[in-house]
Amino acid sequence: MITKSYIMPRSEILELQSRRLRSLVRNVYEGSPFYRKRLDDAGITPEDIRSKDDLRRIPFTTKSDLRDNYPLGMLSTPKSNLVRLHASSGTTGNPTVVAYTLRDIDNWAELNARCLEIAGATSADVVQVAYGYGLFTGGLGLHYGAEKLGAKVIPASTGSTKRQIKLMKDLGTTVICCTPSYGLFLAESAREEGLDPKEDLRLRIGVFGAEPWSEMTRKLLEEELVESAHDIYGMSELNGPGVAMECRAKKGLHIWEDHYIVEIIDPTTGEVLPPGEKGEMAVTTIMKEGMPLLRYRTRDMTILNEEVCECGLSHARIMRIIGRTDDMLKIRGICVFPSQIEEILASMENVTPHYQLVINRDGPMDKLMVRVEISEDFKTDRLTDIVDLQRRLENQLRDTLSINASVELLEPKTIPRSEGKAQRIVDMRKI
Amino acid sequence: MIKQFSVFLENSPGRLANLMGILEKNGIKVLAMGIAEAGNYGIVRMIVDNDEKAFDMMRKENMSVNQAEVLIIELERLANAVKTLSVVGVNIDYAYTMDCGRAVIKVNNEEKAIKALSEAGLKVYPTKC
Repeated sequence: MITKSYIMPRSEILELQSRRLRSLVRNVYEGSPFYRKRLDDAGITPEDIRSKDDLRRIPFTTKSDLRDNYPLGMLSTPKSNLVRLHASSGTTGNPTVVAYTLRDIDNWAELNARCLEIAGATSADVVQVAYGYGLFTGGLGLHYGAEKLGAKVIPASTGSTKRQIKLMKDLGTTVICCTPSYGLFLAESAREEGLDPKEDLRLRIGVFGAEPWSEMTRKLLEEELVESAHDIYGMSELNGPGVAMECRAKKGLHIWEDHYIVEIIDPTTGEVLPPGEKGEMAVTTIMKEGMPLLRYRTRDMTILNEEVCECGLSHARIMRIIGRTDDMLKIRGICVFPSQIEEILASMENVTPHYQLVINRDGPMDKLMVRVEISEDFKTDRLTDIVDLQRRLENQLRDTLSINASVELLEPKTIPRSEGKAQRIVDMRKI
Repeated sequence: MIKQFSVFLENSPGRLANLMGILEKNGIKVLAMGIAEAGNYGIVRMIVDNDEKAFDMMRKENMSVNQAEVLIIELERLANAVKTLSVVGVNIDYAYTMDCGRAVIKVNNEEKAIKALSEAGLKVYPTKC
């Protein structure tokens, strides 16, 4: 069972953060040759870090640090204390390996249980985990969390969509955990099986993560699949899923600040930005033992809100991830995030959230093309209505993003559906 | 009233063939057809012999399909018909022909169009071909 210890006043959270930070810095200095060198090189001793405010003196840790120290050069504990290793897909070069002690696994489960709980799940729920099990942290992370909550878990993993739907129906699944794009695919597939997912299934809560999504996708998911759709955030370097979660107020994702210290930084200069400003999130994992990270640059862009939430929790909230610094497209020098385009599509009738961005170079000029499926319910016999839709989309994109993008309207269901993360960007620029 | 289907298709080789293939496979005959295109997409408009079946088939194939009401008139007296409509201020949005000597027209005011055509002694067919 989980404890309600995470409900605490903000002052207590801040005190815990400073205390845990001090002990973390001591631990990594003693346990990790990598961090000992990093701190020595920066002229910092563990005693210099007294509180959270001293954090900004410590250099950032980056994804390349993890790659360069492949496989286990970042450990802060002897290898014998580890009980689990996960690895990210290493599409370019080495994968990123992350390591857990038994206490790490237990804490990780606790955080995921909290996530499920603040979304409204209880021990009475049947939780179907349709994230990948295995090296990817999504499946096992939520699995342990749901068990910790005392709920019943169906470890469905990804794929076998027909079977997923049958299990939901026959076992009475009430909570579904998967990527938002797979959620939409499940709803479509259920309809193709002759089911009305909102009538024939009993999905109260959807826990959707592992890719950025928008309010439109929430609306669709809540219309088509679940009563209440919640965004969950995480990454394997920070344990996996369960770092932050939307409560029932759905006004940002609560980040578990008794386990993570969040800073929002300027991605170019590395300077810490004041609350309310948009920037890259850097996270310090103050409770991790196996492979804790100091000021890890997540490459995720967001805004931090430290106000107490209407749900009563005082753990700060991050805004839904605006994009990743590495998803950030530079088109003619202007930064564009796919999520911004998704929001625009969300606001328009007669198009779907199924889209692709194609970037090409025409001479010295970058060209962005947004390929989007029209809705099956778009009813017209007049070409002008369709041309008009295309023009309105192009105008909206220009007004919002300050770039000229062309829109290509596609027939329904022509963009391949993915069961994992959606492949939305096709960059054909040759540099 | 005669029903016309319009289907949104990408303007690329194989898309029309796919649509026609689906109709043919299901024994649905196309009695008239017209295409309007704009860039990478277009609309195929058509009159078929089995509306209900055609609609079900196209929805099942996830096509973006629409039904609209159109008029079928005599091709031989087309000049007279369009003159008659223009006199009463009815606009023809688009038109295409059928191979049984008839024309399909989409007007902006059906009631007014039928009335004017009938009064001029021109045929508005209640059936397709």
